Amino acid sequence: MSARDTTGTTLVNHWQSGVPVNRGPVITDTLVFFGAVAMIGLALAAIRFWSPLGPFSGMNDAYAWGIWKTFNVMTLTALGSGPLALGIAAWVFNRQKLHVVMRTALVSGFLFYATGLMALGFDVGRPWNFYSALMPWRWNTESAMLEISICMPIYCALFLSFEILPLVLERLYYTGGERTRAVLRRISPVLRRMYPFMITGAYVVPLMHQSSLGGLLLLAGTKIHPLWQSPFLPLLYLLAAGLCGIAFVTFLLLLACLRYRRSLDLAILGELGNLLSAACFLFLAVRFGDLIWRGMLDQAFALDRMSSLFLIETTLILIPAVALRFKAVRETPRSLLKVATLACLGGTFYRFVPTTIAYHPERHSIYFPTVPELLIGAAYISLAIVGFGLAVKYLAVLPGDTGSWNHRFRSLPSRRPATRPEGAIA
Amino acid sequence: MNAPMSRRQALFGIIGAGGTVVGALVPTASAEEHPAHPVAPLDAVAMLYDNTICTGCKACMVACSEVNGLPPDTSLSGGLWQMPSDLNSKTKNIIKLYQEPDGPGFAYVKKQCMHCLDPACVAGCPFDALKKNLWGAVTWDSSLCIGCRYCEVACPFDVPKFEWDKWNPKIVKCEFCFDQRLLHRKEPACTAVCPTGSVIFGKRVDLLAKAKDRIAAAPGKYFEQRVYGEHEAGGTQVLYLSSVGFDKIGLPKLGTTSLGHYATKVTSVIYKWLSGPILLAGVLGMVIRKNWNRHEAERPEREKRTGFPEQL
Repeated sequence: MSARDTTGTTLVNHWQSGVPVNRGPVITDTLVFFGAVAMIGLALAAIRFWSPLGPFSGMNDAYAWGIWKTFNVMTLTALGSGPLALGIAAWVFNRQKLHVVMRTALVSGFLFYATGLMALGFDVGRPWNFYSALMPWRWNTESAMLEISICMPIYCALFLSFEILPLVLERLYYTGGERTRAVLRRISPVLRRMYPFMITGAYVVPLMHQSSLGGLLLLAGTKIHPLWQSPFLPLLYLLAAGLCGIAFVTFLLLLACLRYRRSLDLAILGELGNLLSAACFLFLAVRFGDLIWRGMLDQAFALDRMSSLFLIETTLILIPAVALRFKAVRETPRSLLKVATLACLGGTFYRFVPTTIAYHPERHSIYFPTVPELLIGAAYISLAIVGFGLAVKYLAVLPGDTGSWNHRFRSLPSRRPATRPEGAIA
Repeated sequence: MNAPMSRRQALFGIIGAGGTVVGALVPTASAEEHPAHPVAPLDAVAMLYDNTICTGCKACMVACSEVNGLPPDTSLSGGLWQMPSDLNSKTKNIIKLYQEPDGPGFAYVKKQCMHCLDPACVAGCPFDALKKNLWGAVTWDSSLCIGCRYCEVACPFDVPKFEWDKWNPKIVKCEFCFDQRLLHRKEPACTAVCPTGSVIFGKRVDLLAKAKDRIAAAPGKYFEQRVYGEHEAGGTQVLYLSSVGFDKIGLPKLGTTSLGHYATKVTSVIYKWLSGPILLAGVLGMVIRKNWNRHEAERPEREKRTGFPEQL
């Protein structure tokens, strides 16, 4: 979007707009592999639809929530919070540089949310009763679970989908005929008029449900180890979502640009690094403030099993926080990739631990996911990877140099090769 | 096309953005839905279990299974007789034995739903499938439950159980024999059948007074000279008197604040009439609109430079 060449870096290319990956095959070995994992897992999930939960999962009455909820939903949607964190940075705090990476954030966020919602759909035991969601008089408005089960589908189906719509329409515009273009020219101003209001909703709604995911754990009370059980859980869950969102988009951009041989824009990556460092420091400040306020600091450094988990988590977040203060780290893609990975791990660690490892019900029982449970969980992730792999090739997702692109898209495999008269390209 | 919107349009837009949620959430909670220390209504019923009287005959377990139409759990007895190891999806009520590791002492305990005054399961249940019913019985409605199992995560006593082996799984827990007996003005099966009177039924105020009389009449007989359930997790409608430590018979050490209060004390303020989210949407919307308008104003210039319509 806004490409102000004021940075004076030595790079040849800057990220100016979303550019599709037009070279190379669509179906690669990697895509086939993840596609296969997705198919196996989804076939199992389909069987699960006609089968009780028991034989499929290691869940039991003491650990009533398995990895589908605790990992695929409660942990991975944190990585999918890029549209929230970067959107707020770009549109509220006016970080103009970030507009160009929003598409990467949006597509990955949408895929994390969509697959997370699929996981939820196969996890609940009585899904046929979910129509109550449309009947407000049946809502228990005090329940964090209600807030999540209403807000998450709305966010994904309405707000994220709206934000992704321009990517699809853009493809239609450049691949379609005059008639399509005329229609799209008429739609475009309407979308633009709706846009500021929709993105306001797209930030308020996830702010609500990402904190409610932490709010869910409040009711578990003493079952969750006191290093994690805290009245600040909702805020910390939200901050961890912001941290993970920024870290994952950075990670994904670097990885995808490496994979598709895109040049990097270190000014924008440096901006992401700056933001990530701030998000890590903010998280740590609240985390430690909370521990001090509740007098838990000695337990945190007791070096027992739970304390070491806490220390691992803190280290994983502290390293990026400090390292990214150095310009050399921010502007070296290799080190940026490393610290972004650490931050992703640290943030997801914080989100996952209180749901499972630091969760100790009265009854002595153990939970470890079964093979089908793991396969289904992996299938949701693989599906998201396949989705992203296809999206970058058919849509203008990844940032790139506009000059390198003639606004052509690959044709879809099912259709005849599109015949485009040269003059049709605006 | 790019005419700036009026303030009123902006406001309507903001409300429209969260429209479905906003419109529907308006009838939100009353002032103090989850007080820290709930007060039991005068008509609240209760059970009082005294393990110094219980002989462990398990008549209550048989009566419970019969009245509730539960299948026998025979997994431990090789299919021969009912022998549950704990509360489970076939067992709503169980008598367990605690034996001192090195000594002659022992004690029974009867476990079932505690029917908390402010139950965590009810606070968490998204569609009110679990609810505080007449006289304070916590009941479950199969037509509202989506099977999310949040009740199992929330319950500090590990009471609700899920039918993991059923295609149409239910949440199984003691419901105070609500449909079967309470509605017909009969006491629950377990208290009705108990031959020794170790578990008795009555109004909570009466039973609490009775329990305290027993403690006063025999100083030193009861653990900590107190009634378990009077204040635990905000108070429960099943009360316990025990000769041994409550933790030994599987009654967890809990604070006196209700979990519902702990979990909702902040959110109930933020989400009151959805004021927090609406306020946030207003502030964010205002800033975003300003930034958006500037972005749009600069757009033609950028589009002229690149020669292509700008991406959103």
